[in-house]
Amino acid sequence: MTDTGPLTAATAAHSTFDPYARRVEASGLRFLYGLNPLAKLAAPLPAMALLVFVRDAATPAAFLLLAYAVLLVGVSFTRRLAAILFLALPLSALVIGFGFALWTDASRVDQSVVVWQLGGWTMYGGALEVGFATGLRLSAIVALTLIAGLSTTGPDLVRAAVQQLRVPYRIGYTALAAFRFVPRFGHELDVIRQAHRVRGSHGGRGPFAAIARWFGYVVPLMAGAIRHAERVALAMDSRAFGAHPDRTERYLVPWRVRDTVFVIVFWLASAALFWFFFPWGLR
Amino acid sequence: MLVSSDVPLLRVRELGVTHDGESTPAPASVSFDIAAGEVVLLLGPSGSGKSTLTLALNGLLPQAVPAAMTGSVEVDGLDTQTTPVAELSTRVGMVFQDPDAQLVTGTLLDEVAFGPENLRMPVAEVLARAEEALRRVGLWERRRENPDRLSGGGRQRLAIACALAMGSPLLVLDEPTANLDPAGIEEFYAALGELVAAGDRAILLVEHNLDAAVGFIDRVVVLDHDGFLAADGTVDQVLRDRAEDLHAMGVWLPVSAIAALRLRRAGFRLDPLPLTPDELRVALDAEPAPAAIFSPNPPLVAESTRDRPPSAGGLAEKGWIGGAGSDAGGSDAGGGAGSDAGGSDAGGSGVATDPLIRVRGLTLRRGRTEVLHGVDLDVPRGSFVAVVGANGAGKTSLIQALAGVVSPPKGTVHVDGLDVGRADARTLSSRIGFVFQNPEHQFIAHTVFDEIAHGLRRQHLPDAEVRARTEALLERFGLTAKAESHPFLLSGGQKRRLSVGTALVAGAPVLVLDEPTFGQDRARADELLSLLSELNAEGTTIVVVTHDMQLVTDYADRAVVLADGRVMAEGPTAALFADDELIARAGLRPPPLRRALQGVQRHPELARIARLSDLPGDPSSASATHAARHATGGVA
Repeated sequence: MTDTGPLTAATAAHSTFDPYARRVEASGLRFLYGLNPLAKLAAPLPAMALLVFVRDAATPAAFLLLAYAVLLVGVSFTRRLAAILFLALPLSALVIGFGFALWTDASRVDQSVVVWQLGGWTMYGGALEVGFATGLRLSAIVALTLIAGLSTTGPDLVRAAVQQLRVPYRIGYTALAAFRFVPRFGHELDVIRQAHRVRGSHGGRGPFAAIARWFGYVVPLMAGAIRHAERVALAMDSRAFGAHPDRTERYLVPWRVRDTVFVIVFWLASAALFWFFFPWGLR
Repeated sequence: MLVSSDVPLLRVRELGVTHDGESTPAPASVSFDIAAGEVVLLLGPSGSGKSTLTLALNGLLPQAVPAAMTGSVEVDGLDTQTTPVAELSTRVGMVFQDPDAQLVTGTLLDEVAFGPENLRMPVAEVLARAEEALRRVGLWERRRENPDRLSGGGRQRLAIACALAMGSPLLVLDEPTANLDPAGIEEFYAALGELVAAGDRAILLVEHNLDAAVGFIDRVVVLDHDGFLAADGTVDQVLRDRAEDLHAMGVWLPVSAIAALRLRRAGFRLDPLPLTPDELRVALDAEPAPAAIFSPNPPLVAESTRDRPPSAGGLAEKGWIGGAGSDAGGSDAGGGAGSDAGGSDAGGSGVATDPLIRVRGLTLRRGRTEVLHGVDLDVPRGSFVAVVGANGAGKTSLIQALAGVVSPPKGTVHVDGLDVGRADARTLSSRIGFVFQNPEHQFIAHTVFDEIAHGLRRQHLPDAEVRARTEALLERFGLTAKAESHPFLLSGGQKRRLSVGTALVAGAPVLVLDEPTFGQDRARADELLSLLSELNAEGTTIVVVTHDMQLVTDYADRAVVLADGRVMAEGPTAALFADDELIARAGLRPPPLRRALQGVQRHPELARIARLSDLPGDPSSASATHAARHATGGVA
């Protein structure tokens, strides 16, 4: 949030997810809210790209810690944040880790350590290592995206894209209006499924019947969607949307020195970590 | 925005519009002017092109909606065919029917600022306009909230604010209350009334809910069925003096005016014609009862309908249906049954012994909340039952449980002896049919024929029988010519008839409908209700959820009043709606006719009437039955 003004979030306490909600102004220490959304996207991008090609466990672990540190300092500590950082991410890392450990071809891993044996089947330390490296890597990438994800609102991202990336505002604001479609379609899909069940178009069990069933939902859903979109378009046209090449921006999302500093510091930190762990085995 | 005094704000000349893919223009040729500050009501039967006309006023048509346009529309001297919509938007503000389809941003303030921002106004000007507009509709205090959190009425008020913020001297409102419940309609009109009182904007209103609007209209413009101008004049000249003509044309009139026309036939003078409930009440109290208004029509005497449940709970009908056939609309079931059953109360007591739907101790949960608490209910065979109640009272949950759309606990709901909680979908569909609000949602086949045949094929009937019964049903619902069309390509009315047909084809004796008229224009609602009345007269039991109280009182012989997941009252409609205290306690609004008549001092025999067909003044012949159905249809 770059503007101050009296508009703090009356909706923040609202329990359902609201892509438009404005965040409560946090203390100055929670610096992520004050940054340009594009800076928050650009800063972790190189690290995320490089992590895809990393195979060890230490490098992703280091980036995971870095992302956690930025998040814990930079965004307000809420129950949701705690749940994501200390439950969802570790759990998914564990599940993915074990999953990949089981999947890994045992003949191609280090078989020097045997973790446990079940009859003729052996879990080697090498497989666990590969599995957990993968789990950590995915978690680290997700944690890095959360830096922007947990501190940015949809409208701010659109505004930054329009103001700095020169994305045409007609596209940006149309996308924003489309956010409103999502819950509406969700509800409509529920009703359609209910109606089809009542009509008995169940079609039987199994994956093919399920696919056929979903195709049956598409036509009424699309018909409703197109009609709704047309109405929204007419309503926006009647309010001069798209009249001029640009429009008044009441909320400026400027690119400031702090954004440049954040991006450069983050890039330097990423480079330092990669240099220190250098995970490509050439050193 | 500058309007010189000699040029009208809006000048429509011989406007004709033919939508792409259509052959006849609607409207065909319409000319009228609107001066600054004037409030004009646009009326016309369905299909005369009212909505199309509104789209032409700010250039959306032909610029955004492809159509061929003849004649001209000038706003403030600008031709709407050539001036960009964006420029016209500062002259003509629009409010559409669906509140959800007019929202773009995340807060009320941003929403109102959206238009001025598109016009590249400086920030200070944007904020000033937004504040003024929000204050005028009473939403300034809620400016930081997400529009989703407003009620339907609140969102339509927001739509007015958005139009006001454009600074346009003319506001065009196209059926702005069609998607609102009664509380929302009241809320919307309170805000619009204040706007009109300020007198700084001209308004063109297309509306079927005339009872709320008629109080502040300056002028009425009427289109006829073929899309030509039929009348243009003051409320007195058009609505009061030509009411009979308009009514015959199929134009909607306020319920009070319909009632007054009928009372005139019964011998009341009622001149000038009352248009609002208040005017009707005052007019009735001002004149003595004409001699012998009730004596010529004993079956329609208000007293008898009041004391005895209309249609005697639907029982005496067995014989009556055979006699009167489909000539008798459901709306007249009360009178018809009354005349047949005479004074016998035996029919009435027979009801309770054999209900078609029996609900005992129905408790239903949605997620973690209990939405119905121990509901007991009987629906008599052959009745037309309306389920009413405030928002969140559990109306939809109740009828969904009746029809097995959501599974009720075992043993709580029986339809025709079948336990809905244990029944499989196929058996259920032969006992009870459910019609969803939007007919498109329940279409599953690629042709109209297959759509109907689906229910029969599920019962593994032989092909010949499926074909014969499907064709018979298509014939019955006037869809034979469309048998090979895709259901989505039907017209709105045809889709609705098809959805009713699919629900009935498996032989279900009960039809359940969830808010069948919500969000529809009046004509389509009337078409559906006429169909339901016919089906009811032929013996099908009908259960509807609705917010439309005049509809309830005109068509339903029984009503169930729900409040907070419990049945607050249940019984003959006329008796329930005569109990003003009960209606208020349930959070409902009395229907307009009831509001007019309940305070009448001088004619106590009228004071308890709630439905149009109970009024005196309707000749009791077969043709009158049609007229009455038409009358109620025109305004219900």
